[in-house]
Amino acid sequence: METFDLTKAYGSTNALDSLNTKIKRGEILVLLGPNGSGKTTLLHLLATVLRPTRGTATVMGYDIVKQPLKVRETIGISFQEARGFWRHKPYHILSFHAGIYGLKGEAKEKIVDQTLKDFDLWPSRNKRFMELSGGQAKRLEVAKLFVYRPAVAVFDEPTAMVDLEGKRMIWDRIKDLRKAGSTVIVATNEVREAEYLADRISIMKAGKEVVTENLRTLKDSISGGDVVEVEFSSPTSPQLLKALETVPGTVRVSQETEKALKVFVNRSEDWLPQMMNAVQPLQTKVTSIRVAEPSLDDVFLHYTGDELVKQINA
Amino acid sequence: MREMLSLFTFDLRENFDSIPWTVYFWIFFAFQYFVYGQLVSRLVNPSAVSDYYFYYGTGILIIMTFNVSTWAGRRFVEGAHEGRLKYLLSLPFTRGELFLEQVLLGLAVNLIRIGPPLVLILWLARMPPIMLATSILVLLAMSFGIMGIMISLSFIAFKSFDIFSAIVASTSAILIRFSTILYPLAFLPSAYGTVARFNPLTYGSDLLRDALNFNIPSLLDPGFSAFIVAAVGISTMTLGMALVPRALEGVKSS
Repeated sequence: METFDLTKAYGSTNALDSLNTKIKRGEILVLLGPNGSGKTTLLHLLATVLRPTRGTATVMGYDIVKQPLKVRETIGISFQEARGFWRHKPYHILSFHAGIYGLKGEAKEKIVDQTLKDFDLWPSRNKRFMELSGGQAKRLEVAKLFVYRPAVAVFDEPTAMVDLEGKRMIWDRIKDLRKAGSTVIVATNEVREAEYLADRISIMKAGKEVVTENLRTLKDSISGGDVVEVEFSSPTSPQLLKALETVPGTVRVSQETEKALKVFVNRSEDWLPQMMNAVQPLQTKVTSIRVAEPSLDDVFLHYTGDELVKQINA
Repeated sequence: MREMLSLFTFDLRENFDSIPWTVYFWIFFAFQYFVYGQLVSRLVNPSAVSDYYFYYGTGILIIMTFNVSTWAGRRFVEGAHEGRLKYLLSLPFTRGELFLEQVLLGLAVNLIRIGPPLVLILWLARMPPIMLATSILVLLAMSFGIMGIMISLSFIAFKSFDIFSAIVASTSAILIRFSTILYPLAFLPSAYGTVARFNPLTYGSDLLRDALNFNIPSLLDPGFSAFIVAAVGISTMTLGMALVPRALEGVKSS
């Protein structure tokens, strides 16, 4: 898939702004970004639910503006909000969806039954949609793409409102879909989901793609790629902070609690002994040291200048 | 086409599940016809309209047809707000097929809700079965035109269900009152009658009464009425098909 200057405007606001990107066949690409970053708009444009204001995209070689019907036959989308068919029952919804994509008779019944069981919806199969819990409705929305295997499967926040056990189950199913040959795009603002699923992560902000890379490369690309969490026996002083900032290899010092600091460093193995030397004259005892990789939130902060969590909460 | 028929069956099944609404429609009809119709027809001079009770009954059927047909437009706006339309737009059929399915669904729901009261009225009036077929055709043609109007109106107020409801309510009030649904044109005051002549429902109502051989010589010419009903249906549907997909796909807002 490829987008060419893909833009969607609402009045004077560009929900998606001149996007030029490529998605590789058979990969799981995760779009990561806060609300309003253009993830859902991109998915809706690719699924031909919306028409671009400018530019276009190709899905498996089909142009979304010129060949929308071919695109719809190729791509399947699971929407962010599972709503709309209030009086229908899960069994009928999945059966209808499978039928639309050409499944018939016994084969259709078999796959619908199996999907209902896989997504833990079997006991609720004859409840009306409006009687399902939020989590059940969401699982049903995701399950629609598993009654047939679309060449391109698109999930918009697939595990929102789903419990922890359900999240893991959905993530594993999505990985199975990729194993079976589908190209998968997942839009999320959940870091854990992105880390678990992604072959590549595309960070989006304000309708633009900031960076697209695999997780390892993204983490390695941050200067201060190691994170050292240091805890002291007493509250940290300004002198201590200054001392740490001057240790060679320190990129950034962040105060976590009054006794704990998070220090972004280039190579922790070189930095740690120097840090100990710098701290010793200040009569401050180090009580604990933990070395970690930067989190995806750190990556997001690095590339966008904003904390993902803060953006989501905003 | 196969996909469109699957959707039609799927939607119709959902509608069959709403039996209380259909029963409500029939109760509404029974109350209007057997209670209010009896009362109001006593106030009408029989020398002016020989069988006003029957005239009133067919008028109530037209109002019901109007109400069911407005549902088609409301369904578009509701679907856009509830997320159903987004899903339908992602399925492998053309916008034209989706539009056609919604219209066919509206006609089918009309038939289900209006059919039994129509059969009852014709049976009570001892009308031959052929009248049933012709009057159903006229009512469905009217329904087609009303759906066209309502679906086109949904384009104006796609973003707000409240605005759409207000538009439908005011349009309904004007179209139903300033028409010959409940009063023959020959007995309307001249100013009122002039306005009614610009109302497509007037032509639909007179066409239905013509189809039922209603004995009022002053009904409008059936050929002309049929032309107006067909023209309104085709033009509004064409307009709706041109406008609504643009609203659905967010073209209007860009």
